[in-house]
Amino acid sequence: MSLDQIFTKLEESLSKSPFKLIEPLVEATHTFLLTPGKATRRGPHVRDNIDLKRYMFMVIVALLPVIIMGMYNIGRQTGISDFWLAIWKGALVMMPVVIVSYAVGAFWESIFAKIRGHVINEGLLVTGILFPLTLPPTIPLWQVAIGISFGIVIGKEVFGGTGMNLLNPALTARAFLFFTYPGNMSGDSVWAAVDGFSTATPLATAAAATGNAVDALHASPLHYTLNNMFTGFIPGSMGETSTLAILIGAAILIILGIGSWRIMLATALGGFGMASLVHWLAGPTATGMLSLPPVYQLVMGGFMFGTVFMTTDPVSAAGTNTGKWIYGILIGVMAILIRTFNPAYPEGMMLAILFGNVFSPLIDHFVVQANIKRRLRRV
Amino acid sequence: MGQFKVKRGYNLPLEGSPEGKLVVVPQPKQVAVQATDFRNLRPQMKVEPGDHVKIGSVLFTDKKQPDVKFLAPAAGKVNDVVRGDRRRILRVVIDVETSNESVEFPRYTDTQIKTLERAQVINALVEGGMWPALRQRPFSNIADLDKSPKAIFISGLDTAPLAADPNFYMKELKADFQTGVLALQRLTGGKVHLTTAPDNNDSFKEITGVEHHTITGPHPAGNISVQVYYIDRLHSGEVIWYISPFDTARIGQLLKNGRYPNETIVAITGAPIEKRHYIKTLAGAPMASFLPQNLSDNVHRILSGTILSGTHASLEGFIGFYDHTVTAIPEVLKKRFLGWMDPGFNLPSYGSTFLSSLFKNKKFVQNTDLNGDERAFVATGNYEKVMPMDILPVNLAKAVLIEDVELMEQLGILEVAPEDFALCTYVCPSKIEFGEIIEHGLTLIEKEG
Repeated sequence: MSLDQIFTKLEESLSKSPFKLIEPLVEATHTFLLTPGKATRRGPHVRDNIDLKRYMFMVIVALLPVIIMGMYNIGRQTGISDFWLAIWKGALVMMPVVIVSYAVGAFWESIFAKIRGHVINEGLLVTGILFPLTLPPTIPLWQVAIGISFGIVIGKEVFGGTGMNLLNPALTARAFLFFTYPGNMSGDSVWAAVDGFSTATPLATAAAATGNAVDALHASPLHYTLNNMFTGFIPGSMGETSTLAILIGAAILIILGIGSWRIMLATALGGFGMASLVHWLAGPTATGMLSLPPVYQLVMGGFMFGTVFMTTDPVSAAGTNTGKWIYGILIGVMAILIRTFNPAYPEGMMLAILFGNVFSPLIDHFVVQANIKRRLRRV
Repeated sequence: MGQFKVKRGYNLPLEGSPEGKLVVVPQPKQVAVQATDFRNLRPQMKVEPGDHVKIGSVLFTDKKQPDVKFLAPAAGKVNDVVRGDRRRILRVVIDVETSNESVEFPRYTDTQIKTLERAQVINALVEGGMWPALRQRPFSNIADLDKSPKAIFISGLDTAPLAADPNFYMKELKADFQTGVLALQRLTGGKVHLTTAPDNNDSFKEITGVEHHTITGPHPAGNISVQVYYIDRLHSGEVIWYISPFDTARIGQLLKNGRYPNETIVAITGAPIEKRHYIKTLAGAPMASFLPQNLSDNVHRILSGTILSGTHASLEGFIGFYDHTVTAIPEVLKKRFLGWMDPGFNLPSYGSTFLSSLFKNKKFVQNTDLNGDERAFVATGNYEKVMPMDILPVNLAKAVLIEDVELMEQLGILEVAPEDFALCTYVCPSKIEFGEIIEHGLTLIEKEG
């Protein structure tokens, strides 16, 4: 019996058994192992080889530098200097989080797929890894399970599933944990995989600085510099610390044509522009966040990770090309505004992206109206 | 006279284009006229099985425009009137006899045509069976007898993958084409636009009485919608007519010789066919009468038309009324293990997620694999890159899906045809059938009328 026949038989018998809720999972595994092999019904009679599995797989390829760097950094923060040993240590910390995220996510996807009578969508492949990368290594696994449940169910499925969701599910999950368990997620102190070690994050340090923020960063016990915040050898969320790894990921996304360069560029420009503006308006005597040079804003916290991997989610972002520019700039500007003027949330990126997600249908609406007006003007 | 450059679009890197050689094949034993070749046609039968017909005898008429006639391309006996679901008439099949008996129509010289009244030309085309060759936008139906088009468009290039090259098959038909153009001029108060490539247009160079435009760029530059968009955009309430260069030449033949022109030229293309070239045969000839023996319906898909918008004809099918390309492609026969992880040296793709994208000039053989399964819309941004008009493909498709007729009209559905979205469908990772959606939208608008 071939692999194909085994699966077909399994699916048939499952659909009649009390375990039919897991049928979508079996179906998903089937098409994961073997292409569906369906033929075109009508013209065009041939189709591009890309499908959503390939598409999402490529996002994971682009995340690989971030994942490896994240693992290495976790190990390094615990004091291991050997490269492979550090990665091993990091994997031991990161993998349980990732596995819980995927497993609980798949559970909910399967239930909703069965109820709605459709197949499991490949979006989970990306959501399931993006979410853990925004979490601290010390996150309790039960919180991971609750977070991803909220992200999948409330962030996505209640809107009708992948393609219909307003918000980025991974970010919704993170926002939920951020507001529900601030003790484990707080933006004030950082986490490392060493017990009992805690100090302020770069953003919190800058926000709390009574003098020049750059000096305060240098004075921190972790000696934050532009250099180590760029390379990412500081404690922090598992995938967010290394701007370098994130930029490699961005290059992969853009070269493969998977992530929208328009959104990435617009967000970075919006953030840099706004940071420059507030920095300039505040003048040389400013203190705290206002005294941060604009480049610092881009490498600190989750700005870059959000710009490259979160804003570009094709479902929750603006869909029109003009809309993508507006959407990106809006997010960049909002992130800096929240960071600078709202002391309660030193990390503004997450909220700014969710804000951008909410506004993206409206942005697209205006772009569509402009298209209609152009057409009417000719008549 | 204009020179246009289409920037957005895509040429599929496929193997199997035809060689520039014309072969006359033996006369087929059967021919068919297919009602399904004409959008929205409801035929009124004028013959029954067993009837004898001449070349140019009326087989059926159009219930909506009863004057419009569909004529027999060969003399012989009506073998069958094939019906489909709900007894819908699909086609009339004629057993060809050797006699070349033909119905005679009035003959005209070029000088006479120039002085004919519009109504006289219309009458000559309607009676002579060439009216269905004229189609109308919006909607792509057979031209409306009571409408006056603001212009008539002839596309002298076909940019679809592996398509027959009009410049090649029109080589011997220059004079007939010129006569046809004279007749078309009588039908519109506006211009007759002829679009060709800037080079490879010898067959069209010396034609007078047309506005000659050149257009370059990837597919869909050859599509009528794109050319109308660039040359003389369609505004609300206006109609344009369009016709192929070959059918223009057939109009010329009809008026000159007074006989229904019953020959056609098609290119036989596609990787599974070894000897790919052009053939001359009867209009509506059966596929099996000229395709090689090694093809089989289980392993190959035989299309009347191009890979992008042809119809699945099978070996028992016939050449479509408007088609000059017959394509064979391999059917998908097996599932691939871990296909999503394939490095993809031999898997062509519009984007760069397969290593095939490293070989810019390589040609590929593609089969009918959908390469995935239908999913929700994911706005990858690729649709816009293959749509050369100011049309928002995703927003238009969504307007159709919610059946918002007003919004689809506002988003320009009346300027397009399903064929213009073939590339959007091709590049879509969610395997959304844009063509089907657009067709549904157009049908809705026609119903609400």
